[in-house]
Amino acid sequence: MCLAAATPPSIELEGGVFRVSGWTAPPTPPAKGWPQIFAVYAGFGSIPPMLGSYAVEKGSLVFRPAFPLAAGVRYRAVFHPPAGPDIERIFDSPLKQTTPAARVESVYPSGALLPSNLLRLYVYFSAPMTQGEAFRCLHLLDEKGKDLPGVFLPGEELWDPESKRLTMTFDPGRIKRGLTSNVAIGPPIVEGRHYTLVIDRMWPDAHGLPLVESYRRSFRGGPAQRTKPDPARWRVAAPAAGTSAALAVTFSEPMNYVLLKRMIEVVRGDRVVASSVIIDQNEARWLFTPRDPWKPGDYRLVIDSALEDLAGNSIAHAFDIDVFEQVTEHLTATKISLPFSVK
Amino acid sequence: MNRRILGVLFVLTLVALAFAVADTTKPANLTASLSPGKVDLKSAGALAFGPDGILFVGDSVGGAVVELDTNDRTAGGGAGLHVDGIDAKIAAMAGVTPDQIAINDVKVNPISKKVYVSAMRGRGPDAQPMIVRVNAAGEVANVSLDDTKHASVNLTDTPDPNPGARQDPRMMTITDMAYVSGNLMVAGLSNEEWSSALRSIPVPFKSAEKGATLQIWHSSHGRYETQSPVRTFVPYNIAGQPYMLAAYTCTPLVKIPVNMLKPGEKVKGVTIADLGAGNQPLDMVPYRKEGHDYILIANSSRGLVKLRADGVASAAAIDSPTKVDGPAGIPYDKLDLKNVQQLAAFDAGHAVVLIGQPGAGPSFNPGQPRGPLTLQTIALP
Repeated sequence: MCLAAATPPSIELEGGVFRVSGWTAPPTPPAKGWPQIFAVYAGFGSIPPMLGSYAVEKGSLVFRPAFPLAAGVRYRAVFHPPAGPDIERIFDSPLKQTTPAARVESVYPSGALLPSNLLRLYVYFSAPMTQGEAFRCLHLLDEKGKDLPGVFLPGEELWDPESKRLTMTFDPGRIKRGLTSNVAIGPPIVEGRHYTLVIDRMWPDAHGLPLVESYRRSFRGGPAQRTKPDPARWRVAAPAAGTSAALAVTFSEPMNYVLLKRMIEVVRGDRVVASSVIIDQNEARWLFTPRDPWKPGDYRLVIDSALEDLAGNSIAHAFDIDVFEQVTEHLTATKISLPFSVK
Repeated sequence: MNRRILGVLFVLTLVALAFAVADTTKPANLTASLSPGKVDLKSAGALAFGPDGILFVGDSVGGAVVELDTNDRTAGGGAGLHVDGIDAKIAAMAGVTPDQIAINDVKVNPISKKVYVSAMRGRGPDAQPMIVRVNAAGEVANVSLDDTKHASVNLTDTPDPNPGARQDPRMMTITDMAYVSGNLMVAGLSNEEWSSALRSIPVPFKSAEKGATLQIWHSSHGRYETQSPVRTFVPYNIAGQPYMLAAYTCTPLVKIPVNMLKPGEKVKGVTIADLGAGNQPLDMVPYRKEGHDYILIANSSRGLVKLRADGVASAAAIDSPTKVDGPAGIPYDKLDLKNVQQLAAFDAGHAVVLIGQPGAGPSFNPGQPRGPLTLQTIALP
């Protein structure tokens, strides 16, 4: 262990790695470990040092943080040489981006009339967002512009892995018939009333920047959807053989957008037909365009019985079943087939 | 050194070895099947402890549950823990500002009494998981995941239906876990479909064993039935029989006999309390004090409450909304301690709590709690 004669020791940061230069490190750490000699702090005051690993490379002591350096943080590296005064150096990490770019792309369900027992909303953002902000930045307003309290399941944001799609659940205690909340304050949405969904511009994206603009959408409360979707009542308009025209399936009510994207397939024989799918008419129609032209013959729509409408009623069972009114049916099949022919 | 001394040393060495073997073989029942290596966690959410210092970590983003050997099996105690600014300490270790740390769960190793905290560094898609443990002196240490004995179970049932997409947007958020009678029970919420199952995974984990799924239903007034996800639950004994005390997403607190939890059967809980509108139970700690049973419950908007649970065994189902203006069922007392964000059992007389400031949202729904966060033990009231 010795001090290099020519230049005093210094601390450098390169490629996210902190290095003590001008000091020849011993090959083994001191008794209490390298942090006793060299530590990096994410800020000031009495805080623990950053997690990371130490190594001696070409005679220099280096510290690799366990996590990449974050934007907008001041890092303080402190070297306590065995002899001589301490050396401290401050490093500013890269600045945060400053130009907002994220916006709300769409919200499902998309209709202007939504059932009073609507169960879920799906908000699509154009860029990854900061989580844990919905209760500050997402509002449901009544006709007078008043923020409605207790509409959504408290404290529950469900995100996709990319942090771009948020699922919000309306308080099921207010939707399910007979529960204290339902009886005392009623469902979150009332038939005939007008509502506005507002997403504030201040919602930070993953870089901490606000949205480009706020989002507003109005809708009216409609009748509750209480029954199971029934594929037997769907209209299936088969296209002509030899064309690549879209197969159109029209539902008897709007369906859950995100489930529609993966819960219906077209099968010929035992093979799934490759395609692209468009969902329109406020999620009441499913348009299936095959990659190759239709061949004459028999096809099947294969539908997952977990497919739901807007109120959480799946093909297998309704969201809340009134056992006084109907026999509790339990569909055991997980897939339902609807045959159609192409001529 | 003569032969006699050598002989004594040999015997002592054998005894020491026997103790050493005994110390490691006792927990080896569960840890033997675990393999050392880097733990590939994509997120760290719900935590649960099993026997022998086994820690289960819910990884919602990775669609998995991981079983870890904490190697933390030295008995400890001392309920005087108090750490101010636990979020700032974790942030400093992770090299970020405290607002970039989300604490997801707090649990106590029942052997060592060290407090384990799961957290995410960052609040967007690049967030990274962390697990730290806090000792009785309040020292915060990282639980390294680089070379740890572990096993994991992938909870994803089906292959990605859209392989062209960058990532499957479907996700099951694991909301709570508990070790019950040799199984890990896992409750979750799907970000797509409503109906989601409680899963029971045999412990120790075997890679191909995803466990049985249990359909949990809720009935109100014997008239309406819902397939309702369980959000939080705790193992509970009633008259020597194992139960689960569970809170549905639609608020009611129910008791479910564990022996009813059979695959393929429709399981309905008996509602024993309804904690009222706009509220969700976050964590529950059952305990016994001075001959009476209680359940301490941290709530999202109703604060910390003490349920008087002597009547839980005989409680009839709430079958009419008799008290529509407030909570119904088993009586409870509201406690003064405010802003409890996490609650976990510590020992027979104490719990550990994470206390923060209310979030920045309106008072009826303040949202994400703000720092500084305090981690401390409290005497069970």
